[in-house]
Amino acid sequence: MFTRSNDWAKLTWQQKRDLRLEKWINGEGIKFDSPEAEKNYKARATRLAKAVKMEIPDRVPCAVPTGWFPAMNAGITLKEALYDPEKMKWAWLKFVDEYDSDTFDGTIFFQAPISEILGDRTMKWPGHGLPDDSHSAYQYVESEYMKADEYDLFMKDPFDFQLRRYLPRAMKAFEPFADVPSFSSYEGLPHRLMAMCQDPRFQKFLKAIQEASKHVPVLQKASFETSQAAYAKGFPAFRGGLAVAPFDAFADNLRGTHGMVLDMYRQPEKIHEAMEFVLPQLLNGAISMADMTDCPVIMMPLHKGDDTFMSNKQFETFYWPTFKRLLLSMVEEGLIPFPVAEGAYNNRLEYISDMPKSSVIWMFDQTDMANAKKTVGKVSCIAGNIPASIAYTGTAKEMKENCRKLIETCAPGGGYILSGGSTFDMAKPENLHAMMDAAKEYGVYK
Amino acid sequence: MEKEWADLNWEEKREKRFQRWLSPDVKFISPEAEKLYKERVTRFTKAIKLEEPDRVPVMLPTGNSPAYWGGGNLRTLMYDYPKTREIWIKYMEAFGDMDVYDAPAFVPSGKISEVIRSRMMKLPGLGLPDDAPMYQFVEGEYMKADEYDLMMMDPTDYNLRVMLPRSSPFFEPFQRLLPFRSLMDSSWVSILANPEIHNMFQVMMGLTEEHNKMIAANMELNGYIQTHGYPTLLGGGPLLGAPFDNFGDALRGTHGIFLDMYRQPEKVHEAMDWYVKLTVEGTIKNFPMTANPICLMPLHKGDDTFMSDKQFAEFYWPPLRAILVALVNEGLVPMPFAEGRYNRRLKEIADTPRSGVMWWFDQTDMKEAKRVLGDVCCIMGNVPTSTIATGTPDQIRDNCRRLIEDCAPGGGYILGGGASVDNGKFENFKAMMDAAKEYGVYKK
Repeated sequence: MFTRSNDWAKLTWQQKRDLRLEKWINGEGIKFDSPEAEKNYKARATRLAKAVKMEIPDRVPCAVPTGWFPAMNAGITLKEALYDPEKMKWAWLKFVDEYDSDTFDGTIFFQAPISEILGDRTMKWPGHGLPDDSHSAYQYVESEYMKADEYDLFMKDPFDFQLRRYLPRAMKAFEPFADVPSFSSYEGLPHRLMAMCQDPRFQKFLKAIQEASKHVPVLQKASFETSQAAYAKGFPAFRGGLAVAPFDAFADNLRGTHGMVLDMYRQPEKIHEAMEFVLPQLLNGAISMADMTDCPVIMMPLHKGDDTFMSNKQFETFYWPTFKRLLLSMVEEGLIPFPVAEGAYNNRLEYISDMPKSSVIWMFDQTDMANAKKTVGKVSCIAGNIPASIAYTGTAKEMKENCRKLIETCAPGGGYILSGGSTFDMAKPENLHAMMDAAKEYGVYK
Repeated sequence: MEKEWADLNWEEKREKRFQRWLSPDVKFISPEAEKLYKERVTRFTKAIKLEEPDRVPVMLPTGNSPAYWGGGNLRTLMYDYPKTREIWIKYMEAFGDMDVYDAPAFVPSGKISEVIRSRMMKLPGLGLPDDAPMYQFVEGEYMKADEYDLMMMDPTDYNLRVMLPRSSPFFEPFQRLLPFRSLMDSSWVSILANPEIHNMFQVMMGLTEEHNKMIAANMELNGYIQTHGYPTLLGGGPLLGAPFDNFGDALRGTHGIFLDMYRQPEKVHEAMDWYVKLTVEGTIKNFPMTANPICLMPLHKGDDTFMSDKQFAEFYWPPLRAILVALVNEGLVPMPFAEGRYNRRLKEIADTPRSGVMWWFDQTDMKEAKRVLGDVCCIMGNVPTSTIATGTPDQIRDNCRRLIEDCAPGGGYILGGGASVDNGKFENFKAMMDAAKEYGVYKK
């Protein structure tokens, strides 16, 4: 748990970040397997920290984009990994033992047994809408979980919105709440609660909650133990928490792409108002996660800001301003935002270059890395973008070659992390090894 | 083609609601009962519209009096539903002609109240002597002075996690909940599965049978009464109050709200504006078609003695007026019940749409009320509860005669009590009814 010094408010953001990084690099509380593991852990974390700060590390850090690869590697299905925490733990640690990487990407944070019991409609996963042997661990099901006229409710009575609108739509178990009268006025509230309890479906809801809750400690324990074991073996977490862009908070989970695009034309001011509303919540969430995990890096998967989803005008009107403010506020607290630009960001490079130097890491998927290095790469550490196609279908030689080119293009002067454009769920094992080989062979700074 | 609801003006909306009140979907026991029912409802609707009905309508303030007349008390109503029914029907039969009659209203179930103990309310046998004729509200600062923002930011969250645990020990486990707005992943699953919270819901579910029994008994009795030709003024519209009282009664208490008027007046205003918006948009707008359009609104802190004229004009009236106007616009008939005295408020409250609002007065000077307010609002009241409880039928008749002389001319008057009487004499209610018939007939 990160605790702030008394003079925290007086520190610059760099000083705050360095205090957080120091705590992370030191790995306090980790019971390392050996002095060697501890040495490796610190070397890896230092390498990553230097890259982030755009200093010159010993070599280019290499973050193998693990994804669900450990399941395939261990010969278990994703369904097994999702439903059997012990098997998951075994498979993930097997991966850690067999593959070198400068990071440990964490375990499965999606809790399938719980989602299953609660009847989650927002996701499909192996065994629940996807084939048992599917290679995609989950598929998000977009829908208008929030209706066009519910922005006000979302902002003015958030609990009410969650309880009576969102959850009944998103989860079957919560359906009875759709018919419960509002709790927004205190007058007569105990009676309304009584009335709610009369619905026989409510009994079912409580049963589902009881049932689901039994899985919580089991899943948490397996996940915690796996991570601790990986740290103990010398692999640092490079993800202290998760946050999203304010626009995506609505476009992904609440309004869906279709709804959100209509809103951009029909009620643009509501989107702006709502993004302002969630901004402080996203910030506070990120801060508390980073505090809890002692790792200041906040991963931010980005979706609707990609080149093809919206025009530059829309990006600069809707996507970037609140997102930028969120990034800056995180930086101000000593956090390191780690936006993952899924898709391509070739048209956005100029916008995202407008940030304090070395405050953010940008992970690129299909963006042109040479352009990225010339623009945003001047102010921010960049990471990526080995194509998943090469990892899945290429030879080790092709893989190594691709990495070499990336290193030549992006590594000079520091500020580059070798990684994939997305996760390598179905990679050939030799290609993951080739990645690290390339980093060691071509990425050493003289 | 019939006009859409939204295209109707408020008088047209009200007329539709009046029609529903006049012609309910029930099977009357006889054509005679149906005829009486319609005459009675018409008497009220005409008075509300400031027209002259056949005679002055009467809302007898019988309250819980039948219980005592029948040898029971408030506890009988709380616990013994069959006995309540028996007494209520006997009373109705013994009384005969009344313009309104209702099953007991606002009586909590004894068994449920024993389990879900309230710190806000004392009941007979639960904080009050067994034979207490009324419940007692216990004021307190259930909401703290610095919590206005917290409440406005996420009201459901505030009610569930803060107010409920403070108002009842039963709901204390809710303190464990986290704000839903920040709930991530499965943390809420564990919280909802917490044994204390789980147990709380189990207990509530165990009480549902009792809850249903009471509601069913009450509905059955009200249905029975209606099929015998008696309309009601209760239970139709939403039960609302003045926005100031919303904060001054249950949340901040008199002490708290009066400090707030001096220390953070702008917060009080902000909160009341917020409450008005919430109520208008959440409760009043598109209010469904119900058995009758009357909205009883008990008022408290706006009385002559609780605050100055200036405070009334600044804090109490504007948000109350906003609620009244919103109700009127929805075709509903607000019936503010001015407990205490409103002598100094009459001019101010006359500022509402003509015939939109009906005022029920307790101790206000009715002659003045008629003079100042009579052209704008139907008024009701105010035979003193003390006279009904302790006086003679002659005194009652005399009192009613004077009220009718002062208030009835031109229509727009309903004879009523200053408040409901918990233990009023049967013969005195009878005298009220007789007086209306004797002195209150409008000559054509």
